[in-house]
Amino acid sequence: MNSPIPVPATPRTPTDWNSPAMQNRIRRRYAAERRFKALGLVSILVSAAFLAFLLITMVGNGARGFTQTEIRLPVDFARSTLMLDPAALKGFGADAALAGADIEGVTAAAADAAFGDGGARLLSDGAWLSVREAIKERPEVLQGKADIWVPAATSVDLAAKGDGDAAGEAAYARLKAANAVQTGINLTFLTKADSTDPTLVGIWGALKGSLVTMFVTLILAFPIGVLSALYLEEYAPRNRWTDLIEVSINNLAAVPSIIFGLLGLAVFLNFMHLPRSAPLVGGLTLALMTMPVIVIAGRNAIKSVPPSIRDAALGIGASRVQVVFHHVLPLALPGILTGTIIGMARALGETAPLLMIGMRAFLASPPGGITDPATVLPVQIFLWSDEVSRGFVEKTSAAIIVLLVFLLAMNGLAIYLRNRFERRW
Amino acid sequence: MSNLAILFLILGLGLVAWLTARAKAAGFQPVGGIRPHSRPNHHGWYVALWAIVPALIFLAVWSNIAPGLTMAAAIDTPAGATLPAAGMERSAILAEVRGLASGRVQGGFYPLAQEMVPAYQAAQTRYGIAAAALAVILALAGGAFAFTRLRPDFRARTRVERVVMIGLLVASLIAILTTIGIVGSLLFETMRFFSKVSPVEFLFGTTWSPQTAMRADQVGSSGAFGAIPLFWGTIFIGAIIAMVVAIPLGMMSAIYLTQYAAPGVRKWMKPVLEVLAGVPTVVYGYFAALTVAPAIRDFAAFLHIPGASSESALAAGLVMGIMIIPFVSSMADDSIAAVPQAMRDGSLAMGATTSETISKVLVPAALPGVVGGVLLAVSRAIGETMIVVMAAGLAANMTANPFASVTTVTTQIVQLLTGDQEFDSPKTLAAFALGLVLFIVTLLLNIVALRVVKKYREAYE
Repeated sequence: MNSPIPVPATPRTPTDWNSPAMQNRIRRRYAAERRFKALGLVSILVSAAFLAFLLITMVGNGARGFTQTEIRLPVDFARSTLMLDPAALKGFGADAALAGADIEGVTAAAADAAFGDGGARLLSDGAWLSVREAIKERPEVLQGKADIWVPAATSVDLAAKGDGDAAGEAAYARLKAANAVQTGINLTFLTKADSTDPTLVGIWGALKGSLVTMFVTLILAFPIGVLSALYLEEYAPRNRWTDLIEVSINNLAAVPSIIFGLLGLAVFLNFMHLPRSAPLVGGLTLALMTMPVIVIAGRNAIKSVPPSIRDAALGIGASRVQVVFHHVLPLALPGILTGTIIGMARALGETAPLLMIGMRAFLASPPGGITDPATVLPVQIFLWSDEVSRGFVEKTSAAIIVLLVFLLAMNGLAIYLRNRFERRW
Repeated sequence: MSNLAILFLILGLGLVAWLTARAKAAGFQPVGGIRPHSRPNHHGWYVALWAIVPALIFLAVWSNIAPGLTMAAAIDTPAGATLPAAGMERSAILAEVRGLASGRVQGGFYPLAQEMVPAYQAAQTRYGIAAAALAVILALAGGAFAFTRLRPDFRARTRVERVVMIGLLVASLIAILTTIGIVGSLLFETMRFFSKVSPVEFLFGTTWSPQTAMRADQVGSSGAFGAIPLFWGTIFIGAIIAMVVAIPLGMMSAIYLTQYAAPGVRKWMKPVLEVLAGVPTVVYGYFAALTVAPAIRDFAAFLHIPGASSESALAAGLVMGIMIIPFVSSMADDSIAAVPQAMRDGSLAMGATTSETISKVLVPAALPGVVGGVLLAVSRAIGETMIVVMAAGLAANMTANPFASVTTVTTQIVQLLTGDQEFDSPKTLAAFALGLVLFIVTLLLNIVALRVVKKYREAYE
């Protein structure tokens, strides 16, 4: 590079830029330039197209998961085998009286009567629950006939959504001709927990599990993360111990999440004997995973507070603890909160470590506390994706939509906080 | 009284201590013209800490020993004397007593457990009241001791701040504890695994078939733990297929966004890439299994490729590559931005086009940073779990055919640990050995990557 440039013995003739050879060369170079630029554009468009394709697939599949096909079932209670006294259904004792009645049989019989032989198969396995609710709400229907809207079976449901097999299509056409079907919002999906029948599953159980787990994660990871960030950035002496802490935190941030699951399994379950599948253990595991993220974000936020603030506070007689807790921390808080929300969003979408600690049980009811068995949204998605019944495809996608909405909301909040409160010094 | 109630009681006492101490300190007058050393708040905190901390330490210790004491009291009854001395039945009965007493279990299985419940509950109440009384006495004693020390010249602030500093130090030590916990638990279980299966067989064996025989005469359950096919599958999906997708797309995206794109385009496309990084991996996994894998299988069948599987390495690798794009692109972005402006200007001044400047000057200069970024991306890809669990197969094949099914380390960890089996079987312990290998490899990749990036940064500073 640095060798002297040899001076040509004979004076060179200047390059003729207008000669065809040169013009050709310039054209080639500009074409290469355009190709390169187009390549860049194409690669970013590929990424964007993939994202769009993924979202469209999920929304296309999942939007149907929020609706539900219902069948109008005429039930003749007066002539049914149901031995129920309407008077017994007022006040207390109502649940006990209903529990003893064979509503399931009556519903099946009514379906067979209304839609011919095999009519009961058009209804969801949980259709009798709707009948029971109807009786509970208006006991007077027991004296006569009533039309009750009950959820349809998976095959009819899929046919109504344009995705059914031949038998389902035929049944749907027959019901449609009888004007006995309608499509409504699937409230079950938003209020119930897991089930073996795709028409009866709900997301609320998993969502509540996620919220409880995130709560445990937050109350553990946030204080510990902020305090260690403060210590490392403001007080820690430069020595081998501090280096060790820093190296640990940076490494923990890069450890695969499944390793944290193994840690949770070995330490929290097998060594400390905490309850399996509980949000407490899930929250502990995710807190260990989220803490390094919060520490790193917190340190960056604390670092960006200018030293003049600290000097001024020290100058008017504040102690070092007062400087940090009265001045540095409040100024760094928006940045710390942004990092915390991003870390929590990551924890909310995390599946693998929670599989390790057994949060994959089939649970038909939402958890009541931090030590009850629970599952979380991403694990529920994983479990439903393994189901054979085709009715679960739209439920899985619908659950993914719910998860993505939550993540989007959290990230939106983080961006809002960053733009609204973060100061440029 | 439950521990939670005692906790709230202690915190309430702490609040009272804070308020009274603060009120007393507020009344302090300057002594000899010197103002009180600390502010009333500090005096308040000092007394409150004395009231709360000893009582909390007692409560923590107590909640660890109380269940044992209560059970001992229940066993020390006529009914408890008839308990079987040891074994499964004893622990089952004791577990049932606990369940019945707390109301979690309705109607027990062992009549003996029913008999022991009243004694257990009585002991529980007795010890609960004792614990509450002790905690209150400790809190009052601590608070009173601290309260008598308050004087205008008492250095409450210094003492409170010392406690704060200890709290900060303890918080930052948790990171080290976690690291020790990870290394310790993985090493411990791996040692137990290696006492049953030789390390040489594990690291260099080529047959992976972790099903161990339940009975001696069972067929097809050899229990072979040669992990080479797993390592190959992990490298094939995470380090080869995913990188073939992610490196060109990520690099070119970064180059386009930083060098060519108009500010408006950059403003919109950068968040799109960030969203790609924020999508949960379980969603990618579902997408790979539901949409990508069948498409690739049909494509392979169309080309008449033998050995095509619906759980192909290509499907998992492709989707994983897409997931990694944002990492590669942000790393490339950083390293290209770190190349001094003078080098770019010099190249352009010599008459090079933008693309020539990029490919002949900027990228070579930024190469160490890019390599570091790629190493980080690889470490991320091989530790990724859900995509491979949902889209890659379970068959431990050693094949370079991207349409065939391979399995990875993370898939096998999930597979080994999500069944019902006793904890001591080599099958379960193998998961920890795989975890240790994964941990070491990702750690090494990260250390090397950070070294490379750091060296390169220094070169231009």
